[in-house]
Amino acid sequence: MELLGNVIFGFSVALSLQNLLYCFIGVLVGTLIGVLPGIGPMATIAMLMPLTFNVPPVAALIMLAGIYYGAMYGGSTTSILVNLPGETASVVTCIDGYQMARQGRAGAALAIAAIGSFFAGTVCTLLIALFGPPLAEIALKFGSPEYFSLMLMGLVAAAVLAHGDMVKSLAMVVMGLLLGIVGADVNSGIKRFSFGVYELADGIGVVVIAVGVFAVGEIISNLSDPEERQVFTSKVTNLFPTKEDLKQSFGAIVRGTAVGAFFGVLPGTTPAIASFSSYMVEKKLAKDPSRFGRGAIEGVAGPESANNADAQCKFIPMLTLGIPASGTMALMLGALMIYGITPGPGVMTEKPDLFWGLIASMWIGNVMLVVLNLPLVGMWVSLLKVPYRLLFPAIMLFSAIGIYSVNNSSFDIYLMAVFGILGIVWRMLECSPVPMMLGFVLGPMVEENLRRALQVSRGDPSVFVTRPISLGFIVATVLILIVMVLPAVRKRRGDITD
Amino acid sequence: MKVELRNNKDFWAGIMFIGTGAAAIFIARDYPFGSTMRMGPGYFPSMLGGILVLFGIYVMVIGLLRNEKIQGRWSLRALIVLPLSLVLFGVLMKHAGFMPALAVLIFGSAAAGREFKFVEVLLLTVVLAGLSVAVFIWGLGLPYPLIKDF
Amino acid sequence: MKKIAKSLFTIVLVFAAAVCSGMAAAQSYPSKPLRLIIPFPPGGSNDIVGRLIATKLTERLGKQVVADNRGGAGGVIGTEIAAKSEPDGHTLLIVSSAYAINTSLYKLPYDPIKAFTPVAKLGTGPNVLTVFPGLPVNSVKDLIALAKEKAGKLNFAAAGVGSFQHLGTELFRMLAGIDIAIVQFKGGGPAMIDVIGGHTHATLGSLIQFMPHIKSGKLKALGTGGSKRSVVLPDVPTIAEAGVPGYEANNWWGILAPAGTPPSIVGRLHKELSVILSLAEIQKRFLDQGAEVDEMGPAEFGPFIAAEMAKWARVVKEGNIKAE
Repeated sequence: MELLGNVIFGFSVALSLQNLLYCFIGVLVGTLIGVLPGIGPMATIAMLMPLTFNVPPVAALIMLAGIYYGAMYGGSTTSILVNLPGETASVVTCIDGYQMARQGRAGAALAIAAIGSFFAGTVCTLLIALFGPPLAEIALKFGSPEYFSLMLMGLVAAAVLAHGDMVKSLAMVVMGLLLGIVGADVNSGIKRFSFGVYELADGIGVVVIAVGVFAVGEIISNLSDPEERQVFTSKVTNLFPTKEDLKQSFGAIVRGTAVGAFFGVLPGTTPAIASFSSYMVEKKLAKDPSRFGRGAIEGVAGPESANNADAQCKFIPMLTLGIPASGTMALMLGALMIYGITPGPGVMTEKPDLFWGLIASMWIGNVMLVVLNLPLVGMWVSLLKVPYRLLFPAIMLFSAIGIYSVNNSSFDIYLMAVFGILGIVWRMLECSPVPMMLGFVLGPMVEENLRRALQVSRGDPSVFVTRPISLGFIVATVLILIVMVLPAVRKRRGDITD
Repeated sequence: MKVELRNNKDFWAGIMFIGTGAAAIFIARDYPFGSTMRMGPGYFPSMLGGILVLFGIYVMVIGLLRNEKIQGRWSLRALIVLPLSLVLFGVLMKHAGFMPALAVLIFGSAAAGREFKFVEVLLLTVVLAGLSVAVFIWGLGLPYPLIKDF
Repeated sequence: MKKIAKSLFTIVLVFAAAVCSGMAAAQSYPSKPLRLIIPFPPGGSNDIVGRLIATKLTERLGKQVVADNRGGAGGVIGTEIAAKSEPDGHTLLIVSSAYAINTSLYKLPYDPIKAFTPVAKLGTGPNVLTVFPGLPVNSVKDLIALAKEKAGKLNFAAAGVGSFQHLGTELFRMLAGIDIAIVQFKGGGPAMIDVIGGHTHATLGSLIQFMPHIKSGKLKALGTGGSKRSVVLPDVPTIAEAGVPGYEANNWWGILAPAGTPPSIVGRLHKELSVILSLAEIQKRFLDQGAEVDEMGPAEFGPFIAAEMAKWARVVKEGNIKAE
């Protein structure tokens, strides 16, 4: 009952015409900005933050939350429409979302992404309000051994992503792991594979790879085969998901939300890990996994829900532990502190008006996102009717400006060109870049945590099995391996993964 | 049985994996290797390189056995012109300013396609230039000079 | 005779021209928008301080001061860009303790002493040494005693090789003469969580980040890194007074301009900055971010940086820290 009172109080703080207006502006700006690759929520918030100094705290927070959700969602829009991942988490959305667009189902994909995001956002807002501080305790239980075992499980499960040749997919995972090594090594500080180039000292930007391999690669591929491209612009069918689509997506949205919420509570993971995990879960559970990669709507619904759930639940470690999980979160944290919310265990009691106002505004942000974006679906889809010869130079331009703006660095543009070429080479040789992306995202974390765990245990590998949570992941990893290796067990995979 | 290598996709995929893996091992020799219980910065890359070489050999052998061809048509023109115009964009952003970089990228990209109409591309450039300046320079306040004075 | 007169005249003329142009530069300054290079990506403390200063300088100078993030390689990339910019006062650089530390860690593409002229120091961000509350220690002396008793057994979490948290810990290890393992994390946040969770034993890091957890008892504060006690934690002694004399390790921020920037312009900038730093609003903003306004002019700031460089160079050398 107390919660209900708090929530009502929160809404009374957040719900005013003025605040709704700020929320609307935030979501609008966020969505538009999120559409541009590279210019993610972080840059947007950094640039717009000074504007919010003169606005009342609650209104400013509402606007920032709006930008944040809008930008998260905007990144998926271009993934679906033109295979251009605006941020890492949307790489997964490219796989089936873009295929749906090619089949004329871009509208359904966009709508299901919005619906899934809304569902995930709502559930996770409730989670924060109800169980924020206790959930944060889970994060504290995760030391290096736990993170390592969890990531190991993810890597082993990567084989599920295999599309076609299993060995080539695994080799591509290793390729991604190697690419992830480029840059300064956290444990020793040595710069690896950077060839004395300062720009490589921090590693290769994940958006640079994603935009190069997926977007530039796709354009080159389309230009090579213009007829194929014509087909997919001409048969845009219904704008909204059919009943069948909704039925297929429902389970995926619920599972995606659960997966995303779990990863969201852990400050040491990125949203991309949540969406990859959700995708693997969906593919593994599907009656006919071969549909994946060919426009399966669950492949959009699950990861999109997961990535929004993750983004939302990242507020838990941030608000209760003061740990920003990303640069964006660091900025939000800075904003919160400016407005008088000091993150920490006492966050709910110290400034209840701001805290519950923030919770309420998160939810309002999610509502606004759906309200704004469902009508926009039609507009985005009609963008596909623009002749391709005019569309692709624009995609190139926005990608290039977006990538450049991340570090204001020309070097990133050169890298993007290199990865564009690699993207084509990989397509020619039928080596899927998706497992590579997973390896790239997980690799540095696997190595860092493994080496740190062994450093702390003074070289004793038993830490991975004597700590219960870590042991749990190791057992799960072994089970996944068994399921994959023994084809006989495959038929019954449903009971194991549940 | 005659094995054609030039077009053999798995053969070349194998070569790519072997090459990347070998390069990784070679470069990682400069980093302290450590031991399994106290891994140095060279441990992981060397191991991964080794695994990649093994995968590569397997894929290459499969390629020799199956001899499958590279599928589809690939436009060499797009493959060269698009990355090149990106590189030019990078260079011009550094030395000439936003406008020249933008124009070269649009014209370059458009030239990579098959249907290139000068007037149409010019119009596209003007529209995109206006849009970009409005969004990026005014809207987001990105600190790029439109044209650098020399 | 004529020749000498002529050359004398030329010298006078050139000199006069130089003076005039210098004055003209100062009078018409700023003649175009300024650029404040932030050598880190958006989101960190440099970025927050930098943007704050850029906004206020814009008001004071009447020309737009653009915050230009040029992140990468621990600040080296952005600093290099600033070093190679025109020294006309229209390009400024915000630096932090990383600037002094980088000198001894990397082969730099600029000369850290000659490439810049100091403008002003802006503020200080104090450090605090904390331990997991389950660790049976209540003071810096206890911690040192425990570390000596269990030589090589204690784990200190740090924010990454070459971070000021890392070097601050290294300095502590050197001055206290103890044998501890320094475990690296990707940033101060993850390092802090690991200690709160009890996976590692102790960590040294920014006061503002640790504050809520010190208050709630999830971390035990043993000492602060400044030369005097922190306003925020007056009951906690400095590490120096608690048993490690001579210890001082803080983060700080300041503004540099490319070498050769006319002294008149540097003076003008310093004047504007000291007005900005005296504003109550700015002082509050600094406090919100866990920092204290700590103003220094060009005359003091230069030697301060030199002293910092010398201090960290010693730590890097004796701790055998390598980042290449």
